[in-house]
Amino acid sequence: MFQLVLFYAFSAVLIGAALAVITARNPVHSVLFLVLAFFTSAALWLLIEAEFLAIVLVLVYVGAVMVLFLFVVMMIDVDLAALREGFNRSLPLGMGVVLLIVLELSVVLGGSGFSGKGGPVPLPEGGSNIRALGEVMYTQYVYPFEIASVILLLAIVAAIALTLRRRPGRLVQNPGLQAKVRPEDRLRILKMPSETRD
Amino acid sequence: MDMTFTSPSLWPAMPEIFLLASVCAILVIDLFLPPRWRHLTYGLSLMALLVTAAMVLRLGQGLEEPQVTFSGMFVLDRLAVVLKSAALLVTGAVLLYGRDYLRERQLDQGEFYLLTLFSALGMMVLISAGHFITLYLGLELMSLSLYALVAFNREQSASSEAAMKYFVLGAIASGMLLYGMSILYGVTGSLEIETVASRIMEQPVGSLPLLLGMTFVVAAVAFKLGAVPFHNWLPDVYQGANTPVTLLVGSAPKLAAFAMVMRLLAQGMEGLAGDWRDLLMVMAVLSLALGSVVAIAQTNVKRLLAYSTIGHIGFLLLGVLAANPMGYAAALFYVLIYVLMALGAFGVLILLSQRGMEAETLDDLKGLNARSPWLAAVMALFMFSMAGVPPTAGFYAKLLVLDAVVDQGMGTLAIVAVLFAVISAFYYLRVVWQLYFEAPINGSAVVASADLRWLLIANGGLVLLLGILPDQLIRACLSAF
Amino acid sequence: MQGIYLTIVLAPLVAAVIVGLFGRQVGRTGAHTLTIAGVGGAFLLSLWVLKVHALDGAAPFNATLYTWGVVDGLRLEVGFLVDNLTALMMCVVTFVSLMVHIYTIGYMHEDDGYQRFFSYISLFTFAMLMLVMANNFLQLFFGWEAVGLVSYLLIGFWYTRPSAVFANMKAFLVNRVGDFGFLLGIAAILQYTGSLDYREVFAAAPTLQGQTLSVLPGASWSVLTVICLLLFVGAMGKSAQMPLHVWLPDSMEGPTPISALIHAATMVTAGIFMVARMSPLYELSETALNTILLIGSATAFFMGLLGIVQTDIKRVVAYSTLSQLGYMTVALGVSAYSAAVFHLMTHAFFKALLFLAAGSVIIAMHHEQDMRRMGGLWRYLPITYITCLIGALALIGFPGFSGFFSKDALIEAVAESHLPGAGIAHAAVLSGVFITAFYTFRLIFLVFHGPERFREAAGDSHAAHADHDAHDHHGVHEPHESPWVVTLPLILLAIPSIIIGAFTIEPMLFGDFFRGVIQVSHAHDVLGEMAEHFHGPWAFLLHGFQGPAVYLAFAGVASAAYVYLINPAVADFFAHRFALGRVVNWILLHKYGFDALYIQGFAAFGRGLGRYFWQRGDVDLIDGRLVNGTAQRVVAWAAKGRTLQSGYLYHYAFAMLIGLTAMLGWMLFIR
Repeated sequence: MFQLVLFYAFSAVLIGAALAVITARNPVHSVLFLVLAFFTSAALWLLIEAEFLAIVLVLVYVGAVMVLFLFVVMMIDVDLAALREGFNRSLPLGMGVVLLIVLELSVVLGGSGFSGKGGPVPLPEGGSNIRALGEVMYTQYVYPFEIASVILLLAIVAAIALTLRRRPGRLVQNPGLQAKVRPEDRLRILKMPSETRD
Repeated sequence: MDMTFTSPSLWPAMPEIFLLASVCAILVIDLFLPPRWRHLTYGLSLMALLVTAAMVLRLGQGLEEPQVTFSGMFVLDRLAVVLKSAALLVTGAVLLYGRDYLRERQLDQGEFYLLTLFSALGMMVLISAGHFITLYLGLELMSLSLYALVAFNREQSASSEAAMKYFVLGAIASGMLLYGMSILYGVTGSLEIETVASRIMEQPVGSLPLLLGMTFVVAAVAFKLGAVPFHNWLPDVYQGANTPVTLLVGSAPKLAAFAMVMRLLAQGMEGLAGDWRDLLMVMAVLSLALGSVVAIAQTNVKRLLAYSTIGHIGFLLLGVLAANPMGYAAALFYVLIYVLMALGAFGVLILLSQRGMEAETLDDLKGLNARSPWLAAVMALFMFSMAGVPPTAGFYAKLLVLDAVVDQGMGTLAIVAVLFAVISAFYYLRVVWQLYFEAPINGSAVVASADLRWLLIANGGLVLLLGILPDQLIRACLSAF
Repeated sequence: MQGIYLTIVLAPLVAAVIVGLFGRQVGRTGAHTLTIAGVGGAFLLSLWVLKVHALDGAAPFNATLYTWGVVDGLRLEVGFLVDNLTALMMCVVTFVSLMVHIYTIGYMHEDDGYQRFFSYISLFTFAMLMLVMANNFLQLFFGWEAVGLVSYLLIGFWYTRPSAVFANMKAFLVNRVGDFGFLLGIAAILQYTGSLDYREVFAAAPTLQGQTLSVLPGASWSVLTVICLLLFVGAMGKSAQMPLHVWLPDSMEGPTPISALIHAATMVTAGIFMVARMSPLYELSETALNTILLIGSATAFFMGLLGIVQTDIKRVVAYSTLSQLGYMTVALGVSAYSAAVFHLMTHAFFKALLFLAAGSVIIAMHHEQDMRRMGGLWRYLPITYITCLIGALALIGFPGFSGFFSKDALIEAVAESHLPGAGIAHAAVLSGVFITAFYTFRLIFLVFHGPERFREAAGDSHAAHADHDAHDHHGVHEPHESPWVVTLPLILLAIPSIIIGAFTIEPMLFGDFFRGVIQVSHAHDVLGEMAEHFHGPWAFLLHGFQGPAVYLAFAGVASAAYVYLINPAVADFFAHRFALGRVVNWILLHKYGFDALYIQGFAAFGRGLGRYFWQRGDVDLIDGRLVNGTAQRVVAWAAKGRTLQSGYLYHYAFAMLIGLTAMLGWMLFIR
């Protein structure tokens, strides 16, 4: 019973936070609401004893990704007025469609069609979430695991390809070369007779 | 927890493993190469693709029953062999076609080739997926590489804009896919395609959650194919990306998307065929209509080909919605031929794009016959094939699909399809008209290196040859199902 | 064997494709070397095939090589039927083609379209071989259209000349009329026999006897007669029989090698070949045979007369070709198919020779074709003169020459026939002999003998041609013999023109050569009756002197000599002073009014009708309402659809969402 109350409470906060992300006037607030949304979903995971996933979510998303995101949002200048205008204009139609989707989903999900098969299996006494995950991760799911790592590698390559570009003609400093320079490379002293102007 | 785990047989996945190893090796090699040795990266990439294709074909020899490994996550069947080898060869051809173009614009960085290889790997994973998770991961691997490739030329704001749209819309589509899959998981309790298929059979007819999940999945698949109303990204991306990237986006991934249709709809949701067929039918008609009508108003060839792609996807869907092996085989034949034609048509555009000038508009094609008769002839051949004029391969592709549709008693649909094919013939023939009966605006001769020319001629020859002797390919397509 | 047949067909095709696509790369030398190698190889292999079939008695080859498709049980196939008839045709086609290839090196060497030309004639060889080797109607039709296509391309080869374009168009349109009939005939065959394969059609043909169909209510026609006549309409178009002959003289606008290859030796005989090949069908319809006979005789007689008034050297030969095609058609009509094919073969040699000789004269005269500006050329062009004379003698049927055997046998066969029209036909072919001899030697005398008129003509011809060959500084010039690439084919063609008749008459007409290939019903077997009196070529030669034909030919030559060498005023008297002569001359010069009828009659009527429908129907109704209306609607939709593609990301995302929502709604609520 207590768990059910908690579940609804967290869910309500989650939905509220998600709504706030897109309605907040200040982008910094949006990001902070997103952090809240992550936190509450981590709490939901904790409720089904998936504590490892919950911690990872907090650590990775809240701790790393969102902080970075926050910095970025703070640093760039977003033209809020223009965004707001488009948002307001599209709001009625958008709301209509959203309501329709919500209606459709609730009709379906309200009824019972789910098998319950494949739901979370309670851990054996003294079992470890991490251990259980690790066991399937490196046996049954080794192939997707590898693919996921390839995707990360791809992300690195793509990020480098899109940001690091050695364009010809771009002026860059090479500190190593600068340090190696000797005076005689730069300055040549000539001896010559003086010229007189007439 | 099952503790008796035997390590999976790696043999069926050997091509993927080889390609991944090659990617890593090339990644490291490229790092230490001086810029003037860049062609080595190109050569290695091409070789990796060809060797992988050869391995796939070797594995496919005498393959009767599907081979499953990695706990059902990986399937190697005949369909996978056909699609994977085709996708790899097409990707190789893309590299060949794009080489000079990229070199001229100094875009031939190692990352370009690596991203292409990554996307090829993603296609392979997607095509061989036996499990929703691997399917999704393969899709993402392929798509992420493509997003990056579209944005590759940062000098052009159009490229970045196109990549942005592609990325965001692609993310939405992925979301739909994941949502649909999770609902299917909720109903069936499994993510393994075979198990899902058999559990769906046990469900009552018209189970609403199943229909919900199916609709989301269909929407995501439609996005990847570019079917109306999920097509919006296509014209903008085709136009915004550099022509070699457009060539890549427009060719091999369609094969992967077709595999996605087969794995998800034909195999995974076989029991729901009566339902998704209706959705596909509407999308097919809309795609045919939009693809053939809107293309008429286009002046940009890349955009025109984008709409033509949408029309072709409509035809492809016709084959799929026949929902029997004959229809699937027709659709497979169609997608293979389509990829060949798209490859050639964009190849011609690449050849025409010379330093500092992009050949993109219909004006650039005007009077091509006077500038380069053989190029004009090849382009005309592709246009005729796209329009479905015999004896080109495009004719047979359309014929087989229509045959499959009529066979299912959907004569009206076939008539509608033919009607739109006739409308679309108008703009294909207009291109031919521009090639032959207009005076060239830019009179300079076309410079093309010999191997590109041969590739293009071989490409065109194949389109013609498969129109005259389609038996072998049709048989191969039929045997995949 | 199959490989050899394929090689024969494909070698010219491959050469044509390479030279056509990579003309610039292979260069002029490469172009003629490649194509000559292709055609030469095909010729040698054809000879071998002829040896295997005719001498070694190999069984006919009849097999399908490739099934292109099967539609409702109807097989669309590529296959070869190679028997003695085919092997003979293959040799004739490839030999003449080879000669023309060699000749072209000399004739076209100044032309910019050198490679294009070689590519076309090689392509033609391929198409013609496909035609003669076909074992089904589909492939026959393919070859039929393909040779037609190349022929149009070549007639219009000098596409900057308006006359060439006109001739090209004319050939195309007239042939469409013939092809229309041909296609209907094939369709009728398919309708009634359910097959397109020769073997199956021939096997089914006897069962069609007695079947009737009624196209117009109240009139029922024999199915076989309809089929045969429809097919023959196709042959009339291709083999230029009256009244579909008008395109052939105009086709002389093409380069001379083409006239020799296509419009004399091979393509125009396709109709003859086709009817001979279809002998099992034609034998079953006497009506059809009679029609063929009458059309053939009319062509043979009237077209020959036109040859007399022509002044263009090539046109004389062209009208002679028409007349000779008429002869062959007459032979078909009297069921002497073997005689028709025999005459086809000898004619191919000597007519190609005459054309090439005419071409050689034209080269020597710097592209002057008017015979009134020639004369006395024998001194300057000895080889051309002698070979041309040989061709002429063969053409008029001078005893001993190949044409003598074929033409005499043919006339004899007509005399033996019991068909109702045979009497008229006999008169026509006999008087045709005189006419042939007359115009042929008119040509010889005007061109090679008499005063050298080209000297005074050179001045104005120079002025007239000044615009288009200003680079070509020829004032008063001495004609000189053509290079060896031109004379060699003349010599090589002259040999068979003399001897081939004597050697082949026995096996071809009276022997077993065409056994099992050409079927003749007993009632029509005129050659069978002749065979009873046949005692070898020598006896045939002597027998010839007992008939009128030889004397008629001599009389023709003598009259020509009198009119054009001894007393030239006579011609003028007949043409202009003498009332009847004026009328006849006027009629002949206007070619019996066919051109006027077609151009001012049919074509003008067609154009008028077309204009009417164009204005009323097309411009107002169809264009205005339907097409443009539809097109405007489509374009309007296109523009509308284009604006949907706004470029805004959120529009796109929104479109996806709406699509998804609609799909969900449909799936969940409506169904």
